[in-house]
Amino acid sequence: MLPIEFAGWAGLAPVYVLVATALVLFAVDSIDPRKTNRTLLAGTATAGSLVALAVAVWFLLAGVGTPQVDGGFGVIELHEGQLVVDQLALFFMVVIATVTSLVSVASYDYMEGHTYQAEYYSLTLLAATGMATMAASNSLVTIFIALELTSLPSYALVAILKDNRGSIEAGLKYFLIGALSSAIFVYGISLVYGATGFLQLEAIANNLESGYGPLLGLGILMLLGGFAFKTASVPVHFWAPEAYEGAPAPIAAFLSSASKAAGFVIAFRVFTTAFPLETTTAVIGIDWSVLFTVLAIATMTIGNFAAATQENVKRMLAYSSVGHAGYALIGLAGLGAGVNDVVMGAALMHLFVYGFMNTGAFLFVGLAEYWGVGRTFEDYNGLSAKAPVACAAMTVFMFSLAGIPPFGGFFSKYFLFTASIDAGMFAVAAALVINSALSLYYYSRLIKALWIEEPIGERDALSQPLGLYAAIVFAAVMTVVVLPGFGPVADVAVDAAAAIVA
Amino acid sequence: MSVGIEHYVLLSMALFCIGLFGVLTRRNALLFLMSVELMLNAANVNLIAFSFYHGNLTGQVFALFTMALAAAEVAVGLGIILVLYRNFRDVDVTVPSTMRW
Repeated sequence: MLPIEFAGWAGLAPVYVLVATALVLFAVDSIDPRKTNRTLLAGTATAGSLVALAVAVWFLLAGVGTPQVDGGFGVIELHEGQLVVDQLALFFMVVIATVTSLVSVASYDYMEGHTYQAEYYSLTLLAATGMATMAASNSLVTIFIALELTSLPSYALVAILKDNRGSIEAGLKYFLIGALSSAIFVYGISLVYGATGFLQLEAIANNLESGYGPLLGLGILMLLGGFAFKTASVPVHFWAPEAYEGAPAPIAAFLSSASKAAGFVIAFRVFTTAFPLETTTAVIGIDWSVLFTVLAIATMTIGNFAAATQENVKRMLAYSSVGHAGYALIGLAGLGAGVNDVVMGAALMHLFVYGFMNTGAFLFVGLAEYWGVGRTFEDYNGLSAKAPVACAAMTVFMFSLAGIPPFGGFFSKYFLFTASIDAGMFAVAAALVINSALSLYYYSRLIKALWIEEPIGERDALSQPLGLYAAIVFAAVMTVVVLPGFGPVADVAVDAAAAIVA
Repeated sequence: MSVGIEHYVLLSMALFCIGLFGVLTRRNALLFLMSVELMLNAANVNLIAFSFYHGNLTGQVFALFTMALAAAEVAVGLGIILVLYRNFRDVDVTVPSTMRW
């Protein structure tokens, strides 16, 4: 167990491990820049993210960040509350470190033959560091810096295939929209600062009443734009299909799972800590939970309807990830109703399960790109004859994303559904059910292509790249074993949610 | 002090809107980048003016961070625009459209 004298700064150990790994990767590459040892680089990146994962899980179980009344070590505040390590932060560090390790393992095969391997892994780890810092940020300053630390490596990673026009185009679009939204975000921060005089979240909450309403309202709206970009929600969702389609598949998996989760954690923290609903409503005259209800319904509907019309599998998954952002937004929409921590806990569970099933689905697309079978549904026809294991895993991901029992995705959606019924949000609950039913159409279309349809042409035997297979199979196993393990996950998620809404 | 806080806010809002207008109308990626810089600097004007108004240094320090981050963003952006030029022989943001919007 932990030593009795637990130094506060040690609470950020998962973040330190991630940043140290990124620097080690640079050092390894600078020893002999001409030679690329793929195994060493991928191994270092994977080991570093696994250590970060282990530390975060250990902290969570040992009670670091748990309030002392619950038998923990107490919430750790660093640098006068600029950073905070609580259960919510550790929960998201677990999600982020998991996705990072899956992506690192899968990249071993996917990036074979590409140049700039060391840069690729260290940028991935730096982006993961930014995401983990976002989870612990408790001030608009640290949030903005962590957000940029996540975004800047991500732009470079999306465009890392320098001779591939799709990758460059995706990187450009991602960068342009990202730069615009971070400018809007920082302007929003300046307006909130103007209205309250503080940037630390609790201090903002304490000084809300003295604030000037219109300035604050505009500031909050602009912050919302920044969060919508990071989580790929309506109205700033349209970069997602472009960026995910053109990016290398492991990077698409990384951005759509980990980056989205990190965007949600700052949205959750800012809106629960800095802008408590009653006080904010009294000052700006608008109930922001209504805004989130509208955004949640719009995001899931637009995402799912757009996904249903796609012919390209990766693009379908990109739109489905927009739809899933809508499901997670229910967590914020639910703050207007009574049972806050259950709704938000359900959203956290969904993001946790989503980290496995969505990463796995994108990695399967990466595997298909590795084989070179093509990008559309027809190109995937009959793949199960050649690669039954990977196709079985993909079937698990698809059913789980659609929310079919007994997979993990069913439980998180079920909790979201019952929690929103309990909170009296019937419109949201209805939209959730209708959209899940619609999503089953396009997910099962892929399963039909894999298992039932005949291949268009003759296909040679497909290779079995170890790294990609290992990552996909592990993600599939996790999606299934989340079922018996869901009790603890649900408890941790609800505790983590209660830590900030209380 | 003779200049009221509202004048600073009006100035920064004007800068922000000019930047936003540039982002929406310019097709050259470099001018797009400059417009984004204008928007970031509008936020800096706000931060420094409000810092003076509230009498604490938080805003001024954050403005320093924003400048550093803006520089980093331009560095990454120029890198992407460079590979854009190598692949498409143009820095017009409407040229790369191999993917359906």
